[in-house]
Amino acid sequence: MLLYRLYLRTLVTKARLVSLSAVGLAALGLGLALRFADHPETRADRVYTALITTFGLNLIVPVTALVFASAAFGDPTDDKTMVYLWLTPVPRWRLVASALAASLTIAVPVAVIPLVAAVSIAGSSSRVVMATAVGSAFATVAYTTVFLGLGLRVRRALAWGLAYLLVWELAVARAAKGAAKLSISVYTRSLLARIADHVAPRNGTSLVAALVVPPLVIVVALVLTTRWLARAEVA
Amino acid sequence: MSGPVAGSIDSRPTGSSPPPPATVSVERASKWMGPVVALSDVTFSVGPGVTALLGANGAGKSTLLRIVCGLTPPSQGTVRVLGQDPRTSLAIRRRLGLVAQQENLFEALTGLDLVRLSAGLHDVPTAGEAAVDAVRLVDLDPDDRRPVRTYSKGMRQRIKVAVTLVHQPEVVFLDEPLEGLDPRQRLRMIELFARLGAEGRTVVVSSHVLDEVERFGSNVLVLANGRLVAEGDFRAIRNLMDDRPHRLRVRTDAPTRLGAGLLSDGTVVGVWVESPESLLVDTTTVAAFRRAVVSVAAQSHSRLLEVTALDDDLDSVFRYLVSR
Repeated sequence: MLLYRLYLRTLVTKARLVSLSAVGLAALGLGLALRFADHPETRADRVYTALITTFGLNLIVPVTALVFASAAFGDPTDDKTMVYLWLTPVPRWRLVASALAASLTIAVPVAVIPLVAAVSIAGSSSRVVMATAVGSAFATVAYTTVFLGLGLRVRRALAWGLAYLLVWELAVARAAKGAAKLSISVYTRSLLARIADHVAPRNGTSLVAALVVPPLVIVVALVLTTRWLARAEVA
Repeated sequence: MSGPVAGSIDSRPTGSSPPPPATVSVERASKWMGPVVALSDVTFSVGPGVTALLGANGAGKSTLLRIVCGLTPPSQGTVRVLGQDPRTSLAIRRRLGLVAQQENLFEALTGLDLVRLSAGLHDVPTAGEAAVDAVRLVDLDPDDRRPVRTYSKGMRQRIKVAVTLVHQPEVVFLDEPLEGLDPRQRLRMIELFARLGAEGRTVVVSSHVLDEVERFGSNVLVLANGRLVAEGDFRAIRNLMDDRPHRLRVRTDAPTRLGAGLLSDGTVVGVWVESPESLLVDTTTVAAFRRAVVSVAAQSHSRLLEVTALDDDLDSVFRYLVSR
């Protein structure tokens, strides 16, 4: 709990909360706009594509996960306070688990709650609202785990993470079917589509793959991050 | 201190009692980062008591301390602290502590919270009480509720020492711990290090200030350009440093006359006329030279304007030790 509380205190900064809350408010605004401005016959499709997929799963969820998860190890590496964590006798997996738990404690409410609220405000069915909650939470956990390792492994993890999201998740994985099998976005959008009973995304996967692969990615990312941390060269 | 080092100066006094068992041993350790060699073939061992690690900025002191704490592996060689590899052993981290040189701390926490956090992470059974004691040990107020971001440099140094000592480590490494402290705090801190050494802990304190090191104790390791160039008793090394040729600049209105006078007086081993107003002299007896130069100037009817030591800094001392 000591480490968890420490990570929470260091991750929550005013700048991060204000900027991501603004994005959350924008989602709510978009939900309201769709409810009142769009034609009822096309609204459901627009809510799904514009709000849930584009604004939610492509923007709010991965960026929120990136901002907090990459900072969990990135900040102490940059400001050199990592030495105070690394020199403790705490098993490395506990350092990683605490960082993950703290990142999720912030990222899930900041990313998922505004999105689900916006989808609800837009007048979506309860099934779509539930699918949004499950899909976005699932995606937040997967992205957070991956970006936790990124923050430990590279300098300027925020920039590298954004590049990964733009180039790989939004471009390559959509264009190439093989690359789609290595995309968190494709799996989570497939899961969401199955739960919401919506048309599967381009290069989408089966429900089984969507349920199995992201947890595997999470486990592998946690093992790798723990290993990297144990072998890190600390300044 | 044990284990003489080939190619370096071993200044341990002869006929002294057997050295205490080594708690920190470094065997042929080197560290390079790309083309830069930060540490080269360093071998030494230290036991309980205070050992000063002396070296100019960039000599490799911080790299060596990072290696012995396990923060970075040596590119070559082996390191053991209390018989274990500090890089891989989690258990050893309960028994060692490091005051790192960098200033940043968890800025939002109060000093006491920071020390309590360290106590908790090191499984200190009564973390709260231990934290209060450690904060008091460094003359800070446990009731001070200000976050450490408001601390002065001296307060930061002291809270870092408290963070390091709260779990009572057997081996303590301190990287330039006196920087930013006022003279009174320096004295208190030096007394604290001496007390820790007297309690049987192994205390290794790094510094680039020669006079500061003298006050830490008699054991010293001297690093220059990543190499261990001297180890052993500080007084012997200090004498060695004082006995080396010193170069001084003497400003005078008659450099040739004064130079000739100094040569015939015998207090200098070399004289060069640098300019119409100055000459350079080499001497192995600085104190005797300073006494003699005044009378020689009077005898040679020269006006003595200024005498400046040109190589009284650590770098030149290290250059001398390396060149031997």
